[in-house]
Amino acid sequence: MASGPARRTGDPAAADDSEQPDCAGDEDPAGTAGGGDARRSGSADGTASGVDDPPHPAFAEYATESVPQAPVGAAGKDGRLDLAFARAGGETRLVRDFARVPFHVSGTLGHDPHPASETVYVQSPSGGVAQGDRHTVTVSVGANAVAHVSTGSATKVLSMERNYAAADLALSVAAGGHLDYVPAPTILHEGARLCQDVTVDLAPTASAVVGEVLVPGRLARGERFDFDRYRSTCEVRVDGEVRVADATHLDPGDADPAAPGVMGEFAVLGTLYVLAPDADAPSLSDRLHERVTAAAARDASETSERGEPAESDGASAESDAETVRAGATALPNATGVLVRALGHRADPVTHALRAAWDGARTDLLGVGAPADRRQ
Amino acid sequence: MSDEAFGADDPGDASGADDPGDAAGVDDAGDASGAADAAVLDSLRLADSSLPVGTDSVSYGIEQFVAADRVTDADDLAALLGSVLRRQLGPGDLVALRAAHEGAADGDLAAVTAADRRLDAATLPAEFRESATRTGGRLLRLQSDLRDDEFVTEYAALADAGEVPGAYPAVLGAVAARAGVGQRRACLVACQEFTTAVVGAAQRLLAFGHTDAQRVVVDCQPAMVEAVETSAGRSLADLTMFTPLVDVLAADHERADRRLFVS
Repeated sequence: MASGPARRTGDPAAADDSEQPDCAGDEDPAGTAGGGDARRSGSADGTASGVDDPPHPAFAEYATESVPQAPVGAAGKDGRLDLAFARAGGETRLVRDFARVPFHVSGTLGHDPHPASETVYVQSPSGGVAQGDRHTVTVSVGANAVAHVSTGSATKVLSMERNYAAADLALSVAAGGHLDYVPAPTILHEGARLCQDVTVDLAPTASAVVGEVLVPGRLARGERFDFDRYRSTCEVRVDGEVRVADATHLDPGDADPAAPGVMGEFAVLGTLYVLAPDADAPSLSDRLHERVTAAAARDASETSERGEPAESDGASAESDAETVRAGATALPNATGVLVRALGHRADPVTHALRAAWDGARTDLLGVGAPADRRQ
Repeated sequence: MSDEAFGADDPGDASGADDPGDAAGVDDAGDASGAADAAVLDSLRLADSSLPVGTDSVSYGIEQFVAADRVTDADDLAALLGSVLRRQLGPGDLVALRAAHEGAADGDLAAVTAADRRLDAATLPAEFRESATRTGGRLLRLQSDLRDDEFVTEYAALADAGEVPGAYPAVLGAVAARAGVGQRRACLVACQEFTTAVVGAAQRLLAFGHTDAQRVVVDCQPAMVEAVETSAGRSLADLTMFTPLVDVLAADHERADRRLFVS
């Protein structure tokens, strides 16, 4: 990712990549690009700026569309969340929690099985991500701190007629620290446009679990891949050096998401990056593969006990809403493990990823994943 | 890198300009100079399935699609190949190939290795990285045996030492540039090589004949051209390969008890 998020995480070594066409161009606090001041204030066209300048080429056309009904929500369009955790003796403390609408942090939870862990659930009372939104999130975990950040409910990316939404997420973990960033699913409503860049900066002895469940619409009402465009990148750096660069790009109007090898018959995409440069990635990969495929098979067999078919593969499985196809593989440059899960509904995919997350925590921290406080 | 610097992307493709040596000319527009002919011949050689780099041992995940009954005949195969060409090669491998080609044409080894590393970082299934590194390494050694080119020898030494991945698409881009093969043509070579390798693998896994095999290759030609178009003008930071179902099946393939192919 470009220099924006890297600078915010204070990692000069990570800021060396040039000309990255991400959602988040260079910070332009002076608003030197023409009209920058107006956009920054969110008043001229209702588009908060700072995250999208210049826009990714795939979103450039949307960027020319001004957002008409700005002023009411304008305060929430430039959303910002900064969380910092530090180790203090036997515990981890939330030492910074700056949140600007629509983000809200109501406090910490101590329910994690890890004795030193601190948990923050981020609330977003605004109802969803809207056109023109430019959100910036940074989470930094200090040396030996253990933090878990999640969201209180699913992130709804709302229908858009003009412009688009962009989000910049910069996560960093210092030596010996651990971060779990496993939010509730992201739901892309009809007409939604989201350009998102995630960067993870790790010290060689740090670890992180970063997850996402992507739901292509309000499936229960028959909305499916009706969004305009979703582009998300995840770049992982260790000591400032790019180790992993993943991208998800769905543009249903132009390229069929159901194409073979892409989503196939599935709708929901789950991804879990288990990042642990210190770990023995091939063996961790094998264990997580076993965990995630066992969880997927268990879901399917529970379904079959209810008298429904439970084939785990092939086109005949299309009718089985619980079917999940999942697997794990070692990430490039011995950075950790990728877990992917594809399914028809969000819950079984979340469940399968959770099994992998639990396995990863057990491996890395000696304790499993914390209970889900949303339920 | 400049997105516009890939000068050879228009269909006319006067990519002889990338030639590091004396050769020049348009690589496919009727220029019959000796150097241009040599470049065409070299591109055919690089696309030939008899090139001894081990692409006959890879199926790029297709073996698992066959095992899972997701590919049962030539039509299924053509559909899957089309989407891999469009979603994986176009926005991924070929972008790195072009960057490596440009670097090699300029004699800039650092640009080549940057493309090589970035592609490796963006290739998430472990067995795809392993087979790309294996076949890429062989191609580098082969080319440095065949040609007296310090640039290729130096790149081969880095790959041998494990300093760079030596991923096949990046290597192909580099050696093609050094042989005077234009950038667009090198992309087409990569598509052709990939398609014939997969079709060859599939023929061993599924019962279909040579005519059907050739039909699949021909059916894939529009996707090959699309992939080449997709890759044009992209920077290395914009590798967006996205084939999650291939990732998941490749994870199964890594652990399959019986398999004919390494990927």
